[in-house]
Amino acid sequence: MQLQPLKQKFISINKLCALVTFTLTALALPLPASAQEVPPLAPLGEVPIPADNPMSEAKTELGKILFFDGRLGGDGSTSCGSCHIPTLGWDWPDNVSLGYPGTIHWRNSQTIINSAYYGKLFWAGSAKSLEGQAKSAAKGGIAGNGEDDIMEARLALIPDYRKRFNDVFGDNWPKVSNAWKAIAAYERTLVQRDTPIDKYLAGDKSALTDSQVAGKELFEGKAGCVQCHNGALASDQKHYNIGVPPLKRWEEDAMAQITFRYELYAKGSTEEMYRNTKGDPGIYFRSKLPQQKGMFRTPSIRYTKHTAPYMHNGSIKTLADVVDFYNRGGIAKDGRSSAFIKTKSDLIKPLNLSVTEKKHLLAFIESFSGDKITEEIPALPEYAPLFSIEELKEAKK
Amino acid sequence: MDIRLRMRKKIVLTTLFSSCFLLSSNAIAQDMLAVVEIDAKKAELGKRLFFDTRLSGDAAISCASCHEPNNGFASSTALSPGYPGNGHFRNAPSLINTIYKKSWFHDGRIGTNLNDVTRSMITEDYSMNMDMRLMQERLKQDPIYVKMFKDAGYGEPSNGGVRKAIPEFLKTLTSKNAPIDTNQLSASAKRGEKLFKGKGSCAQCHTGPLFSDGKAHNTGVAENFDIFLKPSNHQAFIAFNMFMGNENYMALKRDVGAHVQTHKADGTDIGKFMTPSLRELKYTAPYMHNGMIKTLPEVVAFYNAGGGQDKNRSVLLKKLKLSAQEQKDLVSYLQGLSGDALVSDTYIWNKEDYSYQVINNWLDVKN
Repeated sequence: MQLQPLKQKFISINKLCALVTFTLTALALPLPASAQEVPPLAPLGEVPIPADNPMSEAKTELGKILFFDGRLGGDGSTSCGSCHIPTLGWDWPDNVSLGYPGTIHWRNSQTIINSAYYGKLFWAGSAKSLEGQAKSAAKGGIAGNGEDDIMEARLALIPDYRKRFNDVFGDNWPKVSNAWKAIAAYERTLVQRDTPIDKYLAGDKSALTDSQVAGKELFEGKAGCVQCHNGALASDQKHYNIGVPPLKRWEEDAMAQITFRYELYAKGSTEEMYRNTKGDPGIYFRSKLPQQKGMFRTPSIRYTKHTAPYMHNGSIKTLADVVDFYNRGGIAKDGRSSAFIKTKSDLIKPLNLSVTEKKHLLAFIESFSGDKITEEIPALPEYAPLFSIEELKEAKK
Repeated sequence: MDIRLRMRKKIVLTTLFSSCFLLSSNAIAQDMLAVVEIDAKKAELGKRLFFDTRLSGDAAISCASCHEPNNGFASSTALSPGYPGNGHFRNAPSLINTIYKKSWFHDGRIGTNLNDVTRSMITEDYSMNMDMRLMQERLKQDPIYVKMFKDAGYGEPSNGGVRKAIPEFLKTLTSKNAPIDTNQLSASAKRGEKLFKGKGSCAQCHTGPLFSDGKAHNTGVAENFDIFLKPSNHQAFIAFNMFMGNENYMALKRDVGAHVQTHKADGTDIGKFMTPSLRELKYTAPYMHNGMIKTLPEVVAFYNAGGGQDKNRSVLLKKLKLSAQEQKDLVSYLQGLSGDALVSDTYIWNKEDYSYQVINNWLDVKN
């Protein structure tokens, strides 16, 4: 496919070189850490605000209400807040997410906190913005299962929303696309920038304990965590297969088996792949490159103290278990590893950390989390009929 | 497609048969419903699917939730329940004899086949809101379906199989032993029959074996204001009209009906609805596309008054000046068009055997 432009007559040499370089870069596997300059850990900066969705108080307030309103979904039962529960780390406390009624999800619900800093949303990076993420989640068959037309119709029948969408977006009738903008704006307020690691990196050396400082050295050295968990977000937002094994639940839970096959089918698989795949192919569904099967976007380490369980399928229960998992070289407690072992990253090797070193590392990981952020669930505005009986009687003469 | 071909052949045969019959009696050829061939295994599968709530997005409603078997496979509420979270904006019509129709829905918007109708009902957000890819995987998790699909010749459970099996089940829903078909109309009904074809002018539109001309007419049925006064119904109405490309859908205060077929610029097609069959009316109250008329005597009174008020009302409708007795006779005739109630296990899946089973050797078997 990428060779096609070569057939064109008037392609310039420069363009050709750029194309080849681009193609090679896109295909290249991550370089080993030693050869790679990684951005250092840093305090979390200001939230990036996209030019086409500026912030305002009215907009974030509207977004907050919409975030908790199940009418932005199929049967009115499932809001963003159903799987991203503020008191539970703004995610869902089970291995895979709650999912739409009659289903369960197949991946772990991720925290909303600091999600504003990602350029790739969802575990496989399938959305490029919070706006796109909100839309996909509200519409997906095992998440919100909503359709644009009925969601938009519902918004139109809620007078408070009509007023707010008009104030914020100038909509005559609320546009569902603006609902995603408002929700995204609200999510951009859900950030945590005053954790111990932020304070420490800003110069307050008392912000970390001695154990955490020792953990930081391991994180950036022997344990190699910083190879991927780097920069202010503690995520490079690149894709790796770190060896997380398929969820045991897929072997034991009928509903989970249904969803697993549905995702294989719906996301686009060859028959051969649909019949034989038993692990989540992850980013493969974006690129359809076999060498990317089983890869997922690096998640941030921030706020993880409150977001158990861990990994794309929630198969690891605690942060201590996560450290053990990496210490074994990306191998689970029961000895299992990725279903796509060929694509497992070379960066993942046994670490030979001592018990004390693991404690230090765990302590340091916890320095990426501050207190729990909570939210008072807003009251939802009610429907009201659009027309009076008198208006209806006038309609047919 | 091949169902329809087969049906057409049958109708030809039946017509021929009736023509011979006509020589020796007064029976009218077009009053006979064609006999259809039914594949028992496919129909049985279709029956189980028809009553299975897992064919809707949140697994809360089945086809039978709106097409209630105890109500002649029509909705007993003026406006059907629709999908949870919203309501509907019309009364679900009876599915008895639906296999004989050539276009479906009160507005006649699908004129191909019941396979397409089945797909539409399962997937539209205001009806069953199902992603059929997910439905397929649900069915594959139920060993009874795995066997039934195989036995029916459909291979493994699939969307295509569902869209064939449900219409096959619908073939079983036909009039059984209706007095009109068994020549057992009461004396009153026979008087009503004459009025039906004469003074009552009913047969202008209610013709043929289904007592329907398969066309759309505006009879001036009053609007059901619940569509607009209940936001749950109104949202389905808005979503539907948005989807059908009706302009100014937010301002619509009436159901445009078959306008979705013709989209006439002058709007004279607004408020037309497909002539419904009059068979099985005994079971299918309330009546009209929006359930606005509760009983058959009220329906007859409605037409006796020349229909309702509407600027687009059909010119076929005039005041009938029927006496009280004539109206009663007409109702008797209408009741004579209904057969046995289809409420036995032959028509209803009563087994409580819907379940998912874990595939135990998950890692070893193919998906």
